Amino acid sequence: MKKMIISVLGKDRPGIIAAVTRILFEQDCNIENVSQTILQNEFSGIFIAGVPKALSEADLHRHLNAGLAPMGLHVYEKRLSTDNGPQTDVDSEPFVVVTKGPDRKGLVASITAIMAAHRVNVTNLQAVFKGGDDPNANIMIYEVDIPSDANHQALRRDLREKALALSLDLSIQHKLIFEAINRV
Amino acid sequence: MFSEREILSVVEMLKNENLDVRTVTLGLNLLDCASDDIGRFTDNIYARITGAAKNLVKICDEVGDKYGIPVVNKRISVSPIAVAGAPFNAQQMLSVATTLNEAAGAARVDFIGGFSALVEKGIARADRALIEAMPEALTGTQRVCASVNVASTRAGINIDAVLLMGRTIKEAARLTADRDGLACAKLCVFANIPQDIPFMAGAYLGVGEADAVINVGVSGPGVVKKAIDRATASNPNLNLGQLSEIIKHTAYKVTRIGELIGREVAQRLGIKFGVVDLSLAPTPNVGDSVGEIFQSLGLASIGVPGSTVALALLNDAVKKGGAFASSKVGGLSGAFIPVSEDLNISQAAAQGHLSIEKLEAMTCVCSVGLDMVAIPGDTSEETLAAIIADEMAIGVINKKTTATRLIPVPGKKAGDHAFFGGLLGESIIMPVNNATGENRFLRRGGLIPSPIHSLVN
Repeated sequence: MKKMIISVLGKDRPGIIAAVTRILFEQDCNIENVSQTILQNEFSGIFIAGVPKALSEADLHRHLNAGLAPMGLHVYEKRLSTDNGPQTDVDSEPFVVVTKGPDRKGLVASITAIMAAHRVNVTNLQAVFKGGDDPNANIMIYEVDIPSDANHQALRRDLREKALALSLDLSIQHKLIFEAINRV
Repeated sequence: MFSEREILSVVEMLKNENLDVRTVTLGLNLLDCASDDIGRFTDNIYARITGAAKNLVKICDEVGDKYGIPVVNKRISVSPIAVAGAPFNAQQMLSVATTLNEAAGAARVDFIGGFSALVEKGIARADRALIEAMPEALTGTQRVCASVNVASTRAGINIDAVLLMGRTIKEAARLTADRDGLACAKLCVFANIPQDIPFMAGAYLGVGEADAVINVGVSGPGVVKKAIDRATASNPNLNLGQLSEIIKHTAYKVTRIGELIGREVAQRLGIKFGVVDLSLAPTPNVGDSVGEIFQSLGLASIGVPGSTVALALLNDAVKKGGAFASSKVGGLSGAFIPVSEDLNISQAAAQGHLSIEKLEAMTCVCSVGLDMVAIPGDTSEETLAAIIADEMAIGVINKKTTATRLIPVPGKKAGDHAFFGGLLGESIIMPVNNATGENRFLRRGGLIPSPIHSLVN
């Protein structure tokens, strides 16, 4: 078995996961992880599966595309790298960054540029921009890992300065506080 | 991974509902500072306090930053000075108060509590010396808070001590006449005082406690009010059982924050974590008021008929939510109704909705008691003592803590305004029944025996 990561994109409708998993099952693949979400009306799913050695990547794509293209879905596969790459095994602490403020282009890019410069890894991002100046209609929630050896004060300062320049209300809090309040 | 709603509700509580940790209080045992030499004793306590509290403010600020939750006040409570400084006379007790004030200043805390005596069954020589020193000590210092326990369910009510406190409060008011009797705002008279209160002015470290301990007072009246407002906006027909559940859930969240912050501060200081005090503590700011909760529940104002039962509901729901949220609950743990410290409550008094008698009734179902109540300056010592004794009876008979923090504002009469400033707020002066009259009952003095239900063994 080799590991493949398969991404499926397209307009949401009933039966997408059923179709993807049926094809994988027929090709004797073993699903290890699935994550999916719906943004507005668009479905996006990521599947990690063990694929038989005998099944080539091209054949897997052919089978998936044959089943999914008629449903208006785009599919992409990639061999899963065994190299863990950078960022893993970094000693870090989980924080949550929340911004509210008027919509404009480049908000996510501006904030994440600072995070990247401080080696902060975004583990989950939820962003809703309904447009306009209502702060509650334009929200970004970043769940991030901040390396323990990062300069917290400088990071906070840079984020706050950028937020001020963008008229955003920004908070940065350790994740434990959300766990303490929301989880029993 | 948290849902958007979970994250935004926490951010909302902090940004718009005045959620904070009201106080992190470092309790310090001073009994090992003992000496019969006043210079040595004050040197010892100064070294002990400034040493142990050196990093208190810094660490509270760091932990507050980490979680995005401000620790508004950092404070210190110490062993009762009448015990720790047992050999000293009143003049020497004054120099202890000065030392406490200086040590608190060096540690950058706003209040230090424990200029205290426990006299529920009898007044020892040092207790008398300390109480005698109180008016001047509270006048000459900014940070020192005093408390005296004059009654308990197991001991009864020491009316001699109550009378002594009536005189002491009058004298403290007289010495701070230019500040509307401010010294009295730093002096609490208790029945059944707990050993681990983090809130001022009643905080002291009980003799049954360890060398050092971190106790936390949470806040959150604004959060409770907004939770009720949101719930009733989406369903105007909520009944009181349902509202009680909403308050309970909210108290849970508020208490979890106190527990988290308290534990981390304690761990960083290398000190044992004590308790979370579940009291809803207001400030004189709009949106941070216990009084406003009564209006959200549907009453015209705190003080109108229905207020006592509403407070009973509120207090009980806060305890239930808080008890589940924290592994260690202590202190006062009940809603506070300090008149001058809560803008809405002081307005209710000004509008005539709230009388001292109704306040007293309400203290039957919550913690503390007649708290930050400004009364006419010509209220006699005996009447002051009688008000205190009534409040003590409620505590003693109901096996609960009650207290008074009464301020007879010199030169002012009912309907005038008193200004204390800052967190202590301002208030109309409330009328007192028989303010200047005599009270032959109280004057008899002695010890009112403990009630029959104290014989529980």
